[in-house]
Amino acid sequence: MKNIFVIFKREYLTRVKNKTFILMTFLAPLLMVGFYAATIYIATETGDDNRTKTVYLTDYNPSLMLSNNPPANYVFLPAPSNEDSAIADVKSGVVFGWLKVEDRDVRVIDSATYYTAETPSLVEMEGLKSWIEGKANKHQFAKLGLRESQIDSAQSRCDILTKEVSNSGDVQESSSALKSGIGFALAFMIYIFIFVYGSMVMRSAMEEKTNRIVEVIVSSVKPFHLMMGKILGVAAVGLTQFVAWIVLAVGLVFGISALFLNSGNGMSTQEAVQKGIEARTGMATVGAMGGDGAQVAESGSGVARDLAAEFTEPLSNLPYFEIIAVFLLFFVGGYLLYSSFFAAIGAAVNQESDVQQFMMPVTLPLVFGFVIAQTVALKAPHGAMAKLFSMIPLTSPIVMVVRAPFGVPFGELALSFGLLVLMFVLMVWLSSRIYRIGILSYGKKPTWKDLWKWLR
Amino acid sequence: MSTVIEAIDVCKTFGEQRVSKNISLAVREGSIYGLLGPNGAGKTTLIRMLSTITQPDSGEIRFRGDALKEVHAHQMGYMPEERGLYKKMTVAEQLLFFAELRGLSNRDAKAAVKHWLQRLDMMDWARKKVEEISKGMAQKVQFVSCVLHNPKLLILDEPFSGFDPVNADLIKDLILELKRGGTSVIFSTHRMDNVESLCDHLAIIHKGEKVLDGSVSEIRRNHFTGMYDVGYHEEVVWDLGEAAPLSMEKNSDGKVVYRFQTSEVFTPEHLLSAAMLKGKLVHYTEHIPSIHEIFVDTVSKGGAPIAL
Repeated sequence: MKNIFVIFKREYLTRVKNKTFILMTFLAPLLMVGFYAATIYIATETGDDNRTKTVYLTDYNPSLMLSNNPPANYVFLPAPSNEDSAIADVKSGVVFGWLKVEDRDVRVIDSATYYTAETPSLVEMEGLKSWIEGKANKHQFAKLGLRESQIDSAQSRCDILTKEVSNSGDVQESSSALKSGIGFALAFMIYIFIFVYGSMVMRSAMEEKTNRIVEVIVSSVKPFHLMMGKILGVAAVGLTQFVAWIVLAVGLVFGISALFLNSGNGMSTQEAVQKGIEARTGMATVGAMGGDGAQVAESGSGVARDLAAEFTEPLSNLPYFEIIAVFLLFFVGGYLLYSSFFAAIGAAVNQESDVQQFMMPVTLPLVFGFVIAQTVALKAPHGAMAKLFSMIPLTSPIVMVVRAPFGVPFGELALSFGLLVLMFVLMVWLSSRIYRIGILSYGKKPTWKDLWKWLR
Repeated sequence: MSTVIEAIDVCKTFGEQRVSKNISLAVREGSIYGLLGPNGAGKTTLIRMLSTITQPDSGEIRFRGDALKEVHAHQMGYMPEERGLYKKMTVAEQLLFFAELRGLSNRDAKAAVKHWLQRLDMMDWARKKVEEISKGMAQKVQFVSCVLHNPKLLILDEPFSGFDPVNADLIKDLILELKRGGTSVIFSTHRMDNVESLCDHLAIIHKGEKVLDGSVSEIRRNHFTGMYDVGYHEEVVWDLGEAAPLSMEKNSDGKVVYRFQTSEVFTPEHLLSAAMLKGKLVHYTEHIPSIHEIFVDTVSKGGAPIAL
């Protein structure tokens, strides 16, 4: 056991002291937040076409009163009576375009034509279309004898509130969207981490083999201990990075969002952020005190519930302890299972380019699990398919985590985790057999047949 | 004297190939044991079994009287033929790691690393990464990494291959120094250069079998061929009929040496008295074959076991 620790220590320390590791640990959350911020910025700020467009308007249907209140960024000029000169002006750039609305019922297809020199964007076309439709609708309503104020009051809007009834009879507000989002995010993290840290184990085994260090090491350590020390060492690196990221990311997200949104305009946004922060910081206590945080959300609820407020109560009602416990257990279990495969591959091959042929069968179930998580598990988290794949050890680390926020019975969790542990023990045993022989086998590229021989 | 490691009827097969065939050997405490054999003779396989990396299919290996187990690895040092270091680790970190792997406590390991780095004048390099130091320097680190824990038995697979001549000499000195400190050494080689000056005992391995084994002096005595060398300052004419010289050699110092085969009829005494009559005799010795000659002779005879 002492040897496992010596190996563990080396694997852990050389990685954690590595400059790239330190850099990435601090940079990754920054990159993530930066990416997030940039996406939002691009989507909100620069995506729109802000040019003011001067457009000829020919309105053969004056009852629509199109020239009144043109859409934003449009200036309408009456079109010259000569069609050819109108088109010539569009071509020479005197005007941006020419919008010709026929004297027909607007419900008819092709009742309007838009001439432009450059192809208008989908967004612009949609904008113009709905603007014309709006005008036409008003005209139609007026024909039916309805006033504008009557039309507005006739508009309806409906939000469905989800309330879950627990076994004990408590009724709590919940949000399927929120649960799906959290489940998916966690599954994605597990998926990425298994790849990142699994290949770290693989490269480490390969480095020792190609550098010919391994023979010295196995003269004092059992190959199995070497493999376990390596797997556990890298797992500790992963958890360290994980903790560092959580601390950094939480700090950054709160810092930036508070800064960003407080300086923004509008009381509602500010209130929402305030409430969001209260709800999130109060999460632990709220959970412990049995959902008193609901009041915070209730106070903000009205006809117009904004986004943050909409998630506040469901957020406080999530089974946090269960989600975190499931995530950690299945992350560790899944990582251990897959990293033992990766270790065996690293030990079997002689160079990086030989890795590919053995990676396929290892990555396939992982990718498959992720696909299942995205489709079946999100649509029907309690369906038969989701249940099945959350039991199979190769896919359960991902699928079970998606199901976790929706509440999984303890019996299912225990069975699935038990199977995962069993599979892990079996796979570590098999992998160590490949590892044991692989690390000392040099020369030709190993084949599947070789691996099978080593297994026996 | 007791044995530090002993192999009894050890066999190892890889697939169809029998790589070790009933090999038995015993290394005495405080001695240096040489394993000689051409490439592919099965030396590395034998050495890996002795250093607990692989297990024999049959037979037994005993370490100081007990069946060889993993725990004994802490009393052994091992340097394989194919060797390497972690490129990204510093010299000191690396040595510390190997010392701890061999069972030293962190404190003892640090002391040992310091001792050896000072011993080899390498303190200035302690904080350098292996990828930053010269190849010769890395070779020294490699050797130190397997002796840090002051092993009872040091196992070296082709220790002189891949080392530059200066380092090879240094390692030879270190091996002798360790021997004086009570460490037993077993090493394999396919070259004879260092065998005669280093080994107390040797075995020749050929095609997976031990074909010869004994103390160096014993082997040479047993390979006494009855040949004698006589030398003069100038060439002489021989008229001994049947007993003509086997060879003649002119040394660089001008000495002319003739080699004779003696027998029960033509005894060394006959040769001496005849030789004295031919001129001013300056050289008369029994020709003792070198280990190299014995090795070549043994291996070329197809490795038939030679009874001693």
